[in-house]
Amino acid sequence: MTINKAAHDLEIRAEDGIIRPQMTSLWPRLEPLLPRVEKPARYIGCEDGANANIYKPDATSWLLTYPDTYEIGLPNQGLQILYELLNERPDAFAERSYAPWTDMEAQMRAADVPFFSVDTHRPAAEFDILAFNLSAELVYTNVLNCIDLAGIEIRASERSDADPLIGAGGHCAYNPEPLADFVDFFVMGDGEEVIADITTAVGEWRKSGKPTGSRESVLHALARIPGVYVPSMYDVNYDDQQFSGIRARHADVQQRIPKRTIADLADWPYPRNQLVPLTEVVHDRLNVEIFRGCTRGCRFCQAGMITRPVRERPASQVREMISAGLERTGYDEVSLTSLSTADFSGIEDVVTDTIDEPGTCGRVSVSLPSLRVDAFTVGVAAQVSRARRTGLTFAPEAGSWRMRQIINKLVTEEDLYDAVRSAYSQGWHRVKLYFLTGLPSEMDEDTLAIADLAERCVEIGKQYTKKASVTVSLGGFVPKPHTPFQWFGQNQPEELRRKVELLRSRLRHNKRVHLKWHSPEASTAEGITSRGDRRIGRVIEYVWRKGGTFQEWSEHFDLNLWQEAMIASDLDIDWYVHRHRDESEVLPWDHIHAGLHKDFLWQDWQDALAGYGIEDCRWTPCYDCGACTEYGIEHVVASPSPPNGGSQGTGQDLTTGHLVPVELRPRAGVGGTQ
Amino acid sequence: MRLRIKFSKLGKVRFVGHRDVARIMERALRRCGIPVTYSEGFSPRLRMSFGLALPTCYESEAEYLDVPLDPELVADGSIICTGWGQGKVYEQHQIQVALSRALPNGFDVVALTVEPKGGGSLQEAVRSCGWTFDILGATPHQVEKTIQQALNSSVIEVNRKKKNELVREDIRQGIHELRLNGESERGPVVIAELAAKPRVIRPSELIDVLAPAAELGVARRTHQWIEIDGQRTEPLMPSTSLQPKEYP
Repeated sequence: MTINKAAHDLEIRAEDGIIRPQMTSLWPRLEPLLPRVEKPARYIGCEDGANANIYKPDATSWLLTYPDTYEIGLPNQGLQILYELLNERPDAFAERSYAPWTDMEAQMRAADVPFFSVDTHRPAAEFDILAFNLSAELVYTNVLNCIDLAGIEIRASERSDADPLIGAGGHCAYNPEPLADFVDFFVMGDGEEVIADITTAVGEWRKSGKPTGSRESVLHALARIPGVYVPSMYDVNYDDQQFSGIRARHADVQQRIPKRTIADLADWPYPRNQLVPLTEVVHDRLNVEIFRGCTRGCRFCQAGMITRPVRERPASQVREMISAGLERTGYDEVSLTSLSTADFSGIEDVVTDTIDEPGTCGRVSVSLPSLRVDAFTVGVAAQVSRARRTGLTFAPEAGSWRMRQIINKLVTEEDLYDAVRSAYSQGWHRVKLYFLTGLPSEMDEDTLAIADLAERCVEIGKQYTKKASVTVSLGGFVPKPHTPFQWFGQNQPEELRRKVELLRSRLRHNKRVHLKWHSPEASTAEGITSRGDRRIGRVIEYVWRKGGTFQEWSEHFDLNLWQEAMIASDLDIDWYVHRHRDESEVLPWDHIHAGLHKDFLWQDWQDALAGYGIEDCRWTPCYDCGACTEYGIEHVVASPSPPNGGSQGTGQDLTTGHLVPVELRPRAGVGGTQ
Repeated sequence: MRLRIKFSKLGKVRFVGHRDVARIMERALRRCGIPVTYSEGFSPRLRMSFGLALPTCYESEAEYLDVPLDPELVADGSIICTGWGQGKVYEQHQIQVALSRALPNGFDVVALTVEPKGGGSLQEAVRSCGWTFDILGATPHQVEKTIQQALNSSVIEVNRKKKNELVREDIRQGIHELRLNGESERGPVVIAELAAKPRVIRPSELIDVLAPAAELGVARRTHQWIEIDGQRTEPLMPSTSLQPKEYP
């Protein structure tokens, strides 16, 4: 009755005439479980763009895994890019997998069905590499769960020679230490090029038949690839309680791990065939990456620090990817993704051309995530609103100008009001504003200034619509590695909760301002993992063993588990999370090089405390943060000047002029201080 | 004018839910440039209406979808495509081929007409559905026996959840046909015709009657029956001109 043949019928005869058994399909055992679980379509694969018959018996096999649900993981662009690139190679192929939801996991464990790929439902343990995407710290317990479900030892040291290699990449890999006991190798930076080097090294191992002792050799080979970090090749040292650095155990293993950066996004027009899922996922639309990297220099933002420099995709290529993508997928919504979309040179033209594309019949909606308010003009608003209006989110991040100078988010109140006015005047009824609380040197008046901003936005909205409202989303700030705030002691959860309450009572009587906030307790667990050292591995393992999976999901998150785990591991939450660090401290991620000089970051931290903002280097002279100079690369930006509109961080009205004088304040001690 | 589409849903895609099928259809219609129409208002939606919703996990050879067309772009049974199909003029069978190609594997358009609107909504018109399903964990012999018992009874009570309350309900009048039809690799195969009015009766409800300890295997809808002038008929008969889609 089904179109899927039983797997044991299938064999592959290679060119050399040798018959090899194909990898086993678990589908016949999986199918009966699916009627018993919620949303079974997330386990079937079958997406348009997926590779259903890609098995190459002699190629290096990758299982690209997103350790959260299918709905969250499927749209991930990084994973989809690598999936396509690997499948284009003659010497590799890739399939995908996602963390099964708890009901499915229970069914799988009861029926003894291991972790599987959604493409062809093969067991994870039959792949050469299980590569995890680490987009958030709270998925770490899911990583352990997926490895365990695959039937593989969770500790790297206990794996046998022929077991798959466990790899990990993505933003969180920039502090690999908390997962160092479980992951065989980490990848730093852009994956487009480094996957070729890894495929070659692992291919050799595969050809050797993976005999006894070969695992050590392949790990050693991987450790020599620039951008790859193999934790087992290093000894970790502690000075009393304090982590004091790591030391490579071989002379030919890099002592400091550089990151990989692709020089020009134009060379990588991927994904060409974005996956179209059969069931609804987040960001269920065409996503086109218009640039990578951001140099606005927001000090809390890890993504903006570690992905430098700015590499814009040529506008013509953006247009081609939009048209081809919409025609192929049938989507009626396209998202132009980047860390700050309104900064793209000529963004208004790209939006206009997308909406005017005849193939869309004028019914395509364009969504612009990560909008800077100073670049969101009436023109952009008018273009975006011509088809269906998507939600608009602005991120002023902090309520007061003083605070925004400290975090270097240099948008003025007037910038925000202009943007909000543009939105309401073009027909929006509601805008969403995103703020952080628990920032360095934050006072109650800074927190309360959030309410003033929101209420003022509502007043502006009322001039245009009776239904005007504002949603304020408040997140607890968690300091991240490789940012100027990496030395800052995170607020206690009680303090974060007090600030939320402060704002809540202040806004209680305003029915048009809706306040939403993230759990302060979850911020604590995120704090433990984000700046943890190798000892935090014990904590992650403890939480996982107690059933603490899906910690990103409020219905499964449990801070008690993390507190218990810290006590059981004889570690102190205050020391890891709430303590300020000083300049001399060796940080657990110092051996990872994200491009930024440590003294640049320290100087930026000092500037933050002094309330100095610094300008965006893509349009101004370089101050040698290290991201370009260390790697011999440069910004790729089409326009020599910032977009028109707003103050662009200068505090001046620049809506009329074209070239923006970006001189801000004299800045001492930065640039070439290596 | 409207398109009336009959499509199948077979294999792994049986796990895709009804709302997701609607989204899949929308994307396929847009890819082909079918001159569809949209609702008015703040957030316009593509107009279309399905026959009876198919439960998730069930297969079907007989799903129906009506799509109102822009009347200005229909002439003599052909349609003039817009959007991504700009410049194309499709006859009926060309629409069928194009739509089938634009759908994911597992979905096939098995019949299609361009016809005048009217005749009320399909969802209201369907009187009964034909089903074939197999049963996991029962023997043909057992099922043969319980089918005979069921057909000989004047009352068949099943449990039904109604507003969080379990009630007993008689479904005997809703069983128009019930018979054993051999065996699949999973177990005995049953053919049934079950009422859609006054309420829809599903194959899963019959499991409790036929083999209480067993489980429903794969159920496949084979027909949706309507009545025209007192005659039982299908909204569309499969057209024979179309080759089924090839699976890679």
